[in-house]
Amino acid sequence: MSASAPLRQGTRLSAERVTFRFDGRDYTGQRGDSAASALWAAGVRLLNRSIKYRRPRAFLALGPEEPNALLTVGPDPACVPNVPAPQLLVAPGLELRSQNRWPSLRYDLAATLLGLGNSFWGAGFYYKTFMWPSWRTYEPLIRKLAGLGYAPGASTLPAVPVRHLVADVVIAGGGPAGLVAALGAARAGLSVVLLEREPVLGGELEFEAATIDGEPALAWVERTVTSLEGLGVVTLTSTALTTVGESLAIAHQQPAGMPGNDTLYRVHAPLFVNAMGAVERSIAFVDNDRPGVMLVGAAERLLARYGVAPGRAVVLFGNHDRLYAAARRLREARVPVLAIIDTRTVAESPLRPLLMADGVECLLGHTVTAALGSPELRAVTVAAIDAPTRTRRIPADALLVSGGWSPYVYAGLQSGGRPDYRAELAAFTAEDQPEWRLACGAAAGHTDLGAVIASAQAAGQQLAGRARHTGADFAATPIVLGADAPPALQPYFRSPADAADEKRQFVDLQNDVTVADLRQALAEGFIDIEHVKRYTTLGVGTEQGRTGGTLGAAVVAELRGLPPAEVGLSRSRGPFQPVPMQALIGHRTATELRPARRTALHELHAAAGGELELMGGWLRPRYYTANGASAAAACIVEAGRVRSSGGICDASTLGKIEIRGADAAAFIDRVYLGRPSSIAVGRSRYAVLLREDGMVLDDGLLLRVAADHFLATTSSSHLAHVLAHLEFHRDTAGAGRRVALTDVTEAWSVIVVAGPTSRTVLNEVLGGSGAAAVNRLSHMDVIDTTWGGFRVRVLRASFSGELAYEVHCQPAAAPLLWTRLAGSGLLPFGLEALDVLRVEKGYLTTSEITGQTTPQDLRMDRLVAAAPDSIGVALLGRPGLSDPERPILVGLHATDPAARFYGGAQLTETADSVHSIGYVTSSVYSPTLGRWVGLALVARRLAGNGTALVARDPIRDGDTAVSIVPAAHVDPRNERMKG
Amino acid sequence: MSSFGCPFCGPRPLEEFSFHKTLPNVPGGAFEEVYLRSDDPTDSHEHWQHRYGCRAWLYVRRNPSTGRILEVRQLTGSAP
Ligand SMILES: [Zn+2]
Repeated sequence: MSASAPLRQGTRLSAERVTFRFDGRDYTGQRGDSAASALWAAGVRLLNRSIKYRRPRAFLALGPEEPNALLTVGPDPACVPNVPAPQLLVAPGLELRSQNRWPSLRYDLAATLLGLGNSFWGAGFYYKTFMWPSWRTYEPLIRKLAGLGYAPGASTLPAVPVRHLVADVVIAGGGPAGLVAALGAARAGLSVVLLEREPVLGGELEFEAATIDGEPALAWVERTVTSLEGLGVVTLTSTALTTVGESLAIAHQQPAGMPGNDTLYRVHAPLFVNAMGAVERSIAFVDNDRPGVMLVGAAERLLARYGVAPGRAVVLFGNHDRLYAAARRLREARVPVLAIIDTRTVAESPLRPLLMADGVECLLGHTVTAALGSPELRAVTVAAIDAPTRTRRIPADALLVSGGWSPYVYAGLQSGGRPDYRAELAAFTAEDQPEWRLACGAAAGHTDLGAVIASAQAAGQQLAGRARHTGADFAATPIVLGADAPPALQPYFRSPADAADEKRQFVDLQNDVTVADLRQALAEGFIDIEHVKRYTTLGVGTEQGRTGGTLGAAVVAELRGLPPAEVGLSRSRGPFQPVPMQALIGHRTATELRPARRTALHELHAAAGGELELMGGWLRPRYYTANGASAAAACIVEAGRVRSSGGICDASTLGKIEIRGADAAAFIDRVYLGRPSSIAVGRSRYAVLLREDGMVLDDGLLLRVAADHFLATTSSSHLAHVLAHLEFHRDTAGAGRRVALTDVTEAWSVIVVAGPTSRTVLNEVLGGSGAAAVNRLSHMDVIDTTWGGFRVRVLRASFSGELAYEVHCQPAAAPLLWTRLAGSGLLPFGLEALDVLRVEKGYLTTSEITGQTTPQDLRMDRLVAAAPDSIGVALLGRPGLSDPERPILVGLHATDPAARFYGGAQLTETADSVHSIGYVTSSVYSPTLGRWVGLALVARRLAGNGTALVARDPIRDGDTAVSIVPAAHVDPRNERMKG
Repeated sequence: MSSFGCPFCGPRPLEEFSFHKTLPNVPGGAFEEVYLRSDDPTDSHEHWQHRYGCRAWLYVRRNPSTGRILEVRQLTGSAP
């Protein structure tokens, strides 16, 4: 439509003109137009190309199930691909592009190479052809040509809010069935959420000439919507059901038919009603994908909603009486209808003689055999079904086809639902439904308005019954007059064709699946409809079987010589409508995807140049930039300083669990190795706990604060797992359950004070009684004291091998305490330095406690022997766990003191072996020893000290000769930390 | 399956619960439990925790092929 063309009249249109762009040209539509209607009105016949054969396409369905007319909206890189043009409302300045074409829609290079639809790439072509020398050779080229649209390089779409609703029942579909069911349920006192994917309610009543309860259909819709509002029904329009399970329906609201203002609804309701109607389907004939071939319903929508004629010379083709009703409506709108091709031999529609009298050619027992014209439709060939080679040509620029309606069953095929073939529909309904799921209206296989409404009325009563609401106040079933007669359909799925032409009989237009593809899948043994789907891609993509599923199943049935009932229908899962990933993600993007926790010392680390990194959910300083430009350089300085004088480190992220109660001591003996109940009050001990299968779950310290009060520390990243593990074994203990488990991780900040000067500086900073307490502490002693009015717990323990203390304090006191310690000469060190110090000492982290290592693997046999009844010990006797090939913990150093080796390197016995006998778990440059040292897991038979191995790391430096040494590289007798 | 009836908190969304394990359904000892269990698509006995709620450990029986929850109760020492 040019800017001066007369305004169109349609139920969705207003008079305002809107200019938008499509493939670089300006077009003018009206406010309320969809991209498809505005472009069709402007004479555009080519909207897209198909995914595989690059065939020219327009739209087939003009509804949300549209398989072809998917457009890209907006400029690169933040464009939005695959937006269905029939749903997309035009807006001023909107920039639209066709897809699957290069360099242009009119001239596509790949289409030319593929011989313009010569079905060169049939089903299985990829699997068989691109195998030599390997798939990778072809992948870049194929990726360039493949894919539905293309993935945008960026997104500027806002985060999608997720809303929760709670109701007694959720009803999907706001057509006549959904409205009547909602009214029934709401009158019975149930709370109802009604979902409608279109922007308006009423469904097919938009085109209906009938009266309901004496009113025109649309007036009845309006009155019913008012009643629903009065009863508190929550009605969501432009909202499609995404998926539904027992007690939860997920729905996606997308106003204006494109992403940008979406909302995801999670509707918690114990009952679900499928009132989603039925989807019209095409018939397979040669070149049935040409622009201009569209469903009868698409033409009716085009005309009623947007005032656009489907063409100037229209032919209808199908297998039921509704063709005649549609033809009458088209003629009333002055659309030239030339012919109606009916595949049935008998048609009793009273409209037929009237149309014939008006000069419309009405053929019975005939079929369309092919569409002619390229790229768009110019004519069709028709023939009598019993003489299909004697064809006749009828000029046409629009062929309206209808092979019947497939009930929208997909939500009914999950959770035990089963497809059931109904010959009178030539389609499937969903049977064997669970208690919580009902269907009514066209979705349940009803085809005339009176039956649709009666079934919805019954559904409303069933809902009230299942929700056990009594005293229901049901109105009488609405009375329908003057509706379209029942369709009197005779199954007809494809016209006769010879084998070569089957390559152009399309079944699934989105995925370019033809009758020939289905035949080939069957010939190669893919018989089951689910296998046919996987082999041919029938019903994948956004199609999901909506327009091609029933047709594909019926053609497979024909080719196999079986009734469709024995073939069945592929079960597509939700999402039943495409939904952007972004909508499912909701707010969980960027920093909200993985929220970062900060310790009480966060600002001090940042101010001191700490390089903060997210580890185990916490932002933690890896190193401080004052000590070096890189982690490798800084950690050597920081670790060296701890050994020579001292330093402080923020260990607040350590998991801390209080274990308190009368049975606490007995409980920890069950869950921890080493009989920790023997820890004296005021003492602590290294402690290890196993999973039930005997693998080490975590290690940490157990502090005994009082006789019935322990504090367990855990690895920062293992806290959640350890807490759940302890709770499980507390809850399932036969006796001795008087134990309270409390996560106090965030209640205590922890500052590690390490190094030869640590005692002196700590005394000086704590002063007074605190200093006296610290002075009395032996290795592994714990004492509670105060500092400046804050509670402080001091534990003498070391992860660095130096004389060291863990100072646990209230978080409010931590910054001041840290500042005082730093001011007294103890400079901060980061996690990299901590790792250097602990590897030098042979201490373990999650690099060694991987979930696949036993306590024997980690050389904790002594702890196991002391606790024969602890959880996990029972399974440690399995023979494989002491296999000579099973890796055990060892220390490693590079044989050449100047050589380096890396964590993750595989270990082999010789330089030319490719048989791994273990791997390096940790490696660091030791400033104390002046060489690379590490820890490894090595086959037991080779784990003796002095064994020479090769650390092989082809991705980085290649091979390094290494030797096995004791894991404690520095101070093996612990003289430094115990001194 | 989208919500659980917690014996302490009432019906709560599935996201609050964390699955722990499917219980072995063959008789015998540790070896049988680990290696000889069979998958029954209609009756699964499981341990869950109301992790983002009251933290109770729960014994759950459900039908995985329909998603229907058949039983939820507090896990105690005497539970299977
Ligand atoms: Zn709970």
